[in-house]
Amino acid sequence: MSTILRGLQFYPGKTVIHKLDPRVKLVISLLLMATAALYLEVTIISIVIVIEALLSIVAKVFSRWARTVYGAAPLIILVFIANFLFKLSMPGQSLSFQSIYESLQLAYRLVAFLASFSIFFLTTTPEELGMALTKMKVPYMYTFAFISAIRFTPILAEELQSIVDAQKSRGLELEKGNIITRLRRYIPILVPLMVNVLRRSYELAEAIEVKCFGAKKNRTYLKELKMTTKDWITLSASIVLFTVAICIRYFSRISIP
Amino acid sequence: MREVNLEINEGEFVILAGRSGCGKSTLLRCFNGLIPHFYDGEMIGKVEVCGLDTRQHPPYILSQYAGMVFQNPDNQLFALTVEADIAFALENLSFPRDEIKKRVNQALEIMGIEELRDKSTLELSGGQKQKVAIASILAMHPKILLLDEPTSSLDPFSAKQLIDTIIDLNEKHRITILIAEHRLEMLLPYASRIIIIDNGRVVLDGNPREILEKHDVIPYGVSVPRIVKVVTHLKKTLNNSLIPWAPLSVEEFVDIIRRWEKK
Amino acid sequence: MIVFENVEYVYPNGFKALNGINLEVNSGEVVALMGENGAGKTTLLKHLNGLLKPTSGRVLIDGVDTRHSTVASLSRKVGIVFQNAEDMFFSPTIQEEIEFALNNFHFPGDVIKKRVDWALKFMELEEYREKSPFLLSGGEKKRLALAIILAWSPDIVALDEPTVGQDMLQKEKMIQIIRQANQQGKTIIISSHDVEFIAELKPRIILMSKGRIVRDGPSEEVLTDIPVLQECRLLPPQIVSLTSKLDFLGLKPKLARPEEVANEIARRVRHLVNYS
Repeated sequence: MSTILRGLQFYPGKTVIHKLDPRVKLVISLLLMATAALYLEVTIISIVIVIEALLSIVAKVFSRWARTVYGAAPLIILVFIANFLFKLSMPGQSLSFQSIYESLQLAYRLVAFLASFSIFFLTTTPEELGMALTKMKVPYMYTFAFISAIRFTPILAEELQSIVDAQKSRGLELEKGNIITRLRRYIPILVPLMVNVLRRSYELAEAIEVKCFGAKKNRTYLKELKMTTKDWITLSASIVLFTVAICIRYFSRISIP
Repeated sequence: MREVNLEINEGEFVILAGRSGCGKSTLLRCFNGLIPHFYDGEMIGKVEVCGLDTRQHPPYILSQYAGMVFQNPDNQLFALTVEADIAFALENLSFPRDEIKKRVNQALEIMGIEELRDKSTLELSGGQKQKVAIASILAMHPKILLLDEPTSSLDPFSAKQLIDTIIDLNEKHRITILIAEHRLEMLLPYASRIIIIDNGRVVLDGNPREILEKHDVIPYGVSVPRIVKVVTHLKKTLNNSLIPWAPLSVEEFVDIIRRWEKK
Repeated sequence: MIVFENVEYVYPNGFKALNGINLEVNSGEVVALMGENGAGKTTLLKHLNGLLKPTSGRVLIDGVDTRHSTVASLSRKVGIVFQNAEDMFFSPTIQEEIEFALNNFHFPGDVIKKRVDWALKFMELEEYREKSPFLLSGGEKKRLALAIILAWSPDIVALDEPTVGQDMLQKEKMIQIIRQANQQGKTIIISSHDVEFIAELKPRIILMSKGRIVRDGPSEEVLTDIPVLQECRLLPPQIVSLTSKLDFLGLKPKLARPEEVANEIARRVRHLVNYS
């Protein structure tokens, strides 16, 4: 699980990809996912994954990107098994090479999805994402909630560790016992955590009041997103490629393995 | 708070002292409108800050005159980068972008943290976070800075750095300072005034030298610097007239003895 | 009682917090760990009850290797009061809060009752027995944290920054409690950067910097070694600073009481006055 999370972490970068407008990056990721959604054929999905790999190389995040994909392996396998079993349970189906292959294709497609998701997060900082949301006219309340979640999650994680340490030091043993007793043992962890979150919210509310949050309806912004020529070119190219992909899918008679 | 009557003039450097729970924090919150607007309870009497009656103006107006910095560095930084955090209040107040840019640059410079501009708020040390917190308040150009135990969670070295910066704000930029603190040794030599609060009442108010010399402040939970204790004993042993002074720091003490020696 | 043999500790993110710690603390000692934030003090404390286990070397508590013990069993002997101990409360009443650890350590019912009564009395919290821990004041919460640990009477009591945010009176109370606990035979380890507080207590001092022990000795020696203190980003106690700067009067840096220093200065000043 943590390998996936680490793959999704935000790092500032200076490559061409990093410097693209986050909205363009979002569109590219979505188009790649949509392309993968259109096809089940292994060759096309592989092309999509290769494109994503190339993007990650240009963005110099290849190893981290690869780690996400690798980390998702358990999930992929789970999906494969679930889908295969589901197929078997359908009337008239039997254990055949065809059904195994179809389930594999589905699982493989999931890899393309996750990989494209990961590319986006590896090349976009939460700040940029916040700016993109604002530019897309998402109400500031929501953008602020998003940024705050990113801002305070590490702090809460530290707090959680701190509470676990303190309670273990009072003799609490979390590993022992059956499911029911184990759950009860989490009360000394969860109650302090909740209290901490509530207390923190109170302090934050004071601090934010003092920084005039919500004072004016028309909030201004220090930084604003502006599309550059590079952004427009990249965006257009992506849309063209995607259109080609649609055409091949629906209008051509070429059979693809 | 009980029957508090106070007048603080522009440019003063005031220490609020007293034991935990005496009312220092409550008093501070009277100056920026958090009391009565943010807290429940009853307020009797009037507080005027820069001519504004705090009952008639909301905190977001008063905070532009009296900015507040809190104890916990993490619970007052909201953005992901230092620059964004300093701009936060100004964005909330709908300042035009150019003005925001100018003020952010100014604040970074005054606090001496230009090199932190693009850093993530998650990577900063405690002392750095507090400096950013002050910078983000300074961006609003307040005349008064209210500080509620800002060095509590810092190690002594970082605490001294922060206090030196705060002293600078008063000395060079004429910002009126009201600071509630337990760690007094670093502040006493510089402060123009100390107000000691006990049980919601102002029990002592005046020049730190006089107050510490003439009164026993220990029952009020105020820590007396060791220097002052040395001087008190010195006055008992030597002739009182030889010691008309009341040094508040090691440097002052040594200075006076040197001059004595020369004489 | 406590032995650290060539202990090294590297955090999962690669940061080496302890870089070869060799340490011996005997039963009944009072020891202060000092150093700036990041020097490794808290990391070292966490090795005392097995929360952290050395990545190299070993820690022995009363002869037991911490790598072969659980945190629960080590905690029976080593009680750690963390910095924000007030953040660990979860019970409806103070009594139950204190009982929690005693139950975890399988104390018999009648012993639990006695221990709770004693702890409440010792920390002057009897009147709050049925009160919710969340409704206590800051100072009372700190006293409760101590009551909780002292209730199970660990041989070793470790305190992580016990004076942060406290006023003068609370600090003096803390010193009294530490002295009393020590008189009862407990080994006390305090991690602190409050130089004046430590100067008052006068324990053995272990000075740390960047994961290593830089100085280990009595307060009178360590707190008067100004260069080493500065190296560790600590300010010397005011008395030491004063006496060292009065070297032109013939004084040497010393950890003395204000009266003694005043008498010293008075003597030399009279000397001067008599000559003029």
